[in-house]
Amino acid sequence: MSILIVTEIQKGAIREASHELVTFAQKIGSDVSSLVIGSGVGDLASAFAAQGGGKTYVADDASLENYTVDGYSAAIQAAVAASGATTILVSNTPTGWDVAPRVAAALDAGFVSDVFAFEDGHFVRRVFNGKLDAQVSTSGGTTVVTVQPGAVAPFEGTSDGSTEALAVDTSGARARFVEVKVAEAKGVDLSKAEIIVSGGRGVGDPEKFTEVIQPLADALGGAMGASRPVVDAGWLPHEYQVGSSGQIVAPKLYVACGISGAIQHLVGMKGSNFIVAINKDADAPIFEVAQVGVVGDLFEVVPALTAAISAAKG
Amino acid sequence: MKILVALKQVPHQDARLDINGDGTWIKEDGIKFEINSYDTYALEEALRIKDASDDAEVVVASIGPDRVTQALRTALGMGADRAVHVNDDAMAGSDALGIAKTLAAIAKEESPDLVLTGLMADDDNASAVPPMVAELMGVPSATGVLKAEFDGGNVRVERELEGGALEVVDLPTPALLAVQSGLNQVRYASLKGIMAAKKKPIGVKTAADLGVADAVGSGGAKVKIDKIYQPVKGEGAEILSGSTDEVVASLVNKIKELGLL
Repeated sequence: MSILIVTEIQKGAIREASHELVTFAQKIGSDVSSLVIGSGVGDLASAFAAQGGGKTYVADDASLENYTVDGYSAAIQAAVAASGATTILVSNTPTGWDVAPRVAAALDAGFVSDVFAFEDGHFVRRVFNGKLDAQVSTSGGTTVVTVQPGAVAPFEGTSDGSTEALAVDTSGARARFVEVKVAEAKGVDLSKAEIIVSGGRGVGDPEKFTEVIQPLADALGGAMGASRPVVDAGWLPHEYQVGSSGQIVAPKLYVACGISGAIQHLVGMKGSNFIVAINKDADAPIFEVAQVGVVGDLFEVVPALTAAISAAKG
Repeated sequence: MKILVALKQVPHQDARLDINGDGTWIKEDGIKFEINSYDTYALEEALRIKDASDDAEVVVASIGPDRVTQALRTALGMGADRAVHVNDDAMAGSDALGIAKTLAAIAKEESPDLVLTGLMADDDNASAVPPMVAELMGVPSATGVLKAEFDGGNVRVERELEGGALEVVDLPTPALLAVQSGLNQVRYASLKGIMAAKKKPIGVKTAADLGVADAVGSGGAKVKIDKIYQPVKGEGAEILSGSTDEVVASLVNKIKELGLL
């Protein structure tokens, strides 16, 4: 099986998720080539070629300096044609989920997204927001696969490799990059909080955040956080969001109340030193990452805990 | 202008998930279904564009069995003008590309200025179909859209990146947007809207009508789910048992042991 790894550059370097694709490629095959896309990226490509990238195609053009869906799609398709690869690996990042399906459709290929393992010839991915796993098989022929960032360790070895310039025709591009707006400094910097008490959809409404979640955070001397559905519903502003598109936190204590533990949230808090989860669903994925769990009604447990903490502090 | 909104009907977020007989999906009998949450934001956005315009039509399309009619009536009740329902057993077992070819065939018939849909479905979480539809239509696309300003022949969008950053992109129309949750606040159907929805047309199509019979179903699929199952659980959390008071006392002790009390 010949594999093409599509790398991604972030802050002037090839990101860790791309090095993870090298590890993943080694699980599924041995004939590996890679693609680096950008402007002035020759050095990055040479380095990646020597870090497991194999034959590394370099799509280097001013028109590719910023990500555009048309530019990257053209570059990837050109690399597939040049390499003859039949499995194309892309990291499941905002770039990956934007461009990889288009490439699959253009190649009339199979497509499997957000895989985290390869077992017995099957790609494994999660469904129903992390509640169930699925083993997927492909019919052979060209397949585009996106891999969950963090699913495997980044490859840290060295290898023989080479680079080759790849000509890409971006003249047909329609989408135009305007700018990237960096997230504003938050009013609430959860990344510095030692204790965070977070609420999820299970808290039910915004008033309950004020009545139930905030008091526990206050009693512990910590900050309040929230999962994505809470922010989507408009119950709390985005600055409270913990997760891959919010804040990544690693406090000494993280208390998750009514949070099921979808992967986007876990990515944001699984580095916490100690996680307590309170949820009425015993199968909630949050219990996999928590050290201690309570399967019960947060509206009983949290106020009682708040009272006990306040009493203990005197 | 015309906006096409692709909706998927999925098991309700809190539905009980029991694995079916051959282990390839969940049991659908007896559970509630709803419009995929991400698609509700797409529909709301389409309705907002319509509300702000003199002359806009919102067409909703969905693929699935008879139960999908309910989802389409809900969308019509919220304000969509017309629906297309692909109701065909031949669609069962389709992969993402087969679904995308079906939706692209509808788009070819409808010639919309904008196609709006959700970034992913709450059941398979694949985020596969929308960009595929755009590629097959030959139009530009953007995923994870948190803001869209439609202005004649162009739509300026803000796409969600990691860490709260936003990428601003201009797309000439026709274009397809796969929207992120939280794009807007989704409206409820009014009683008046629900009553009016009963008279709005739902056109029913088969795969053959759309010319995609070879691409769909398990016969046309290049990818299939062999097995779904409860994840193998690691050690996981120590689950505290007992009365609320006992559980709380245990938690207070653990917090003390952490030196945080």
